[in-house]
Amino acid sequence: MKTEITENGNQLIAAFIGRLDTAAAVQTAEDVKPLLEVSNREIILECSQLEYISSSGLRIFLSIRKEAAAHGSKVIVRNINADIRQVFMMTGFISLFEIQ
Amino acid sequence: MDLHCEMLLEDYQAALPELERLKEEALRTLREALDRNGLIVTAVEGRVKTRESLEGKLALKGAKYAQLSDVTDLVGARIVTFYTDDVDRIAAMAEQLFEIDWENSVDKRRLHQLDSFGYNSLHYICRLPGYQFRFELQLRTTLQHAWAAINHDTGYKSGIEIPKEYMRRMNRLAGLLEMADDEFSRIRTEITDYRRRVQQLVQKGKLDDVLLDGDTFRSYMQSKPLNSLNKRIAAINQAEIQDAPFIRYLRVLKALKCNTLGDVERLIRKYEEDAYLLARHQLGNTDIDIISSALGLQNICIVCILSTGGGKIGLVRLFDVLNGHNSQNETLAEMTYNQAKQLPFMI
Repeated sequence: MKTEITENGNQLIAAFIGRLDTAAAVQTAEDVKPLLEVSNREIILECSQLEYISSSGLRIFLSIRKEAAAHGSKVIVRNINADIRQVFMMTGFISLFEIQ
Repeated sequence: MDLHCEMLLEDYQAALPELERLKEEALRTLREALDRNGLIVTAVEGRVKTRESLEGKLALKGAKYAQLSDVTDLVGARIVTFYTDDVDRIAAMAEQLFEIDWENSVDKRRLHQLDSFGYNSLHYICRLPGYQFRFELQLRTTLQHAWAAINHDTGYKSGIEIPKEYMRRMNRLAGLLEMADDEFSRIRTEITDYRRRVQQLVQKGKLDDVLLDGDTFRSYMQSKPLNSLNKRIAAINQAEIQDAPFIRYLRVLKALKCNTLGDVERLIRKYEEDAYLLARHQLGNTDIDIISSALGLQNICIVCILSTGGGKIGLVRLFDVLNGHNSQNETLAEMTYNQAKQLPFMI
């Protein structure tokens, strides 16, 4: 599992590559820390290469959303595959995130 | 400029650091008090009078000031509010915070004759302990501020200077804005009353008397009508429940023909068991142990749509509202439909 963070103007783009399972969650939580410290930015969680997400992964997305809300930033989840979209639906997370 | 005024200007130059400190402390004290009292305003601003402005004042009426501290507006603070009522609330707050020099304070709102309109603002001359100078606090609404700023922009320093024709038109506008300010305050009061009435009706369970809108829906959801369903769903995998906003469901509920909170309540009670079964079917074979508090209502809407023949198209519309329009919503609707068709409410 890899997480790559890039900047594009006001956007911070975190690209998740691989399987965000419980084993990968600890490192991923560390990797996304820069996203938790920014203010008034648009944070894109780019998931086109994310194959799987576990509850631990959902918690990481949630922590990004909470910190973003506290710092005036906005989070957009982008390009999730059909399986992950179903996870978002089954958990009611589609009401928590803007998904594109 | 005479020698007396020259000396006052020298004193002003020496006093500048103290005047800056006074301005900063006055603004900090005001901002903290506004926060404590939950008062939201348009602007809190301050300034130290410029040397040029003081020169102008002294040139006009320098003899009036025996010493520099007799000038009451060397430091100015201004709070611009949304509502007229808030001007009075903040005035009361300022009376607690500062020693008010009543002799020099003036409520320009009360100075007008019955048949005249014009500059409206409340000016308090205030003192903070530890400072030899006083400061002027101006309190006014956004509309009063707009009028004063535009009036100032005309370049006329007083109402006497301005040609009569323009003065009449400016004052006519002041009257219009006074009416608008009163109306804004009245609207706020009425909205507050409406919300209070809705809360009382919800608490008394008179849900059929309450039309469904953003306010009433929020008020109803505060009574947590989906708590027991969400807890049952969470118990499937011993999941934690994360709070989620419900407001996106207002459009969905309206589309499902809910016109009153009573309709929403009946919808929930009618479909909550099947909504639970859907969640159990979807989550039971997974190790997902986190859900959002919107899940119960989401599943109720899914069950309602499918039970009433809405089919896959109805689900696509639901996901479009909740999730934004996306081609993948059709796949999601297909998957949800296939899962649900094995459940009792679809058979």
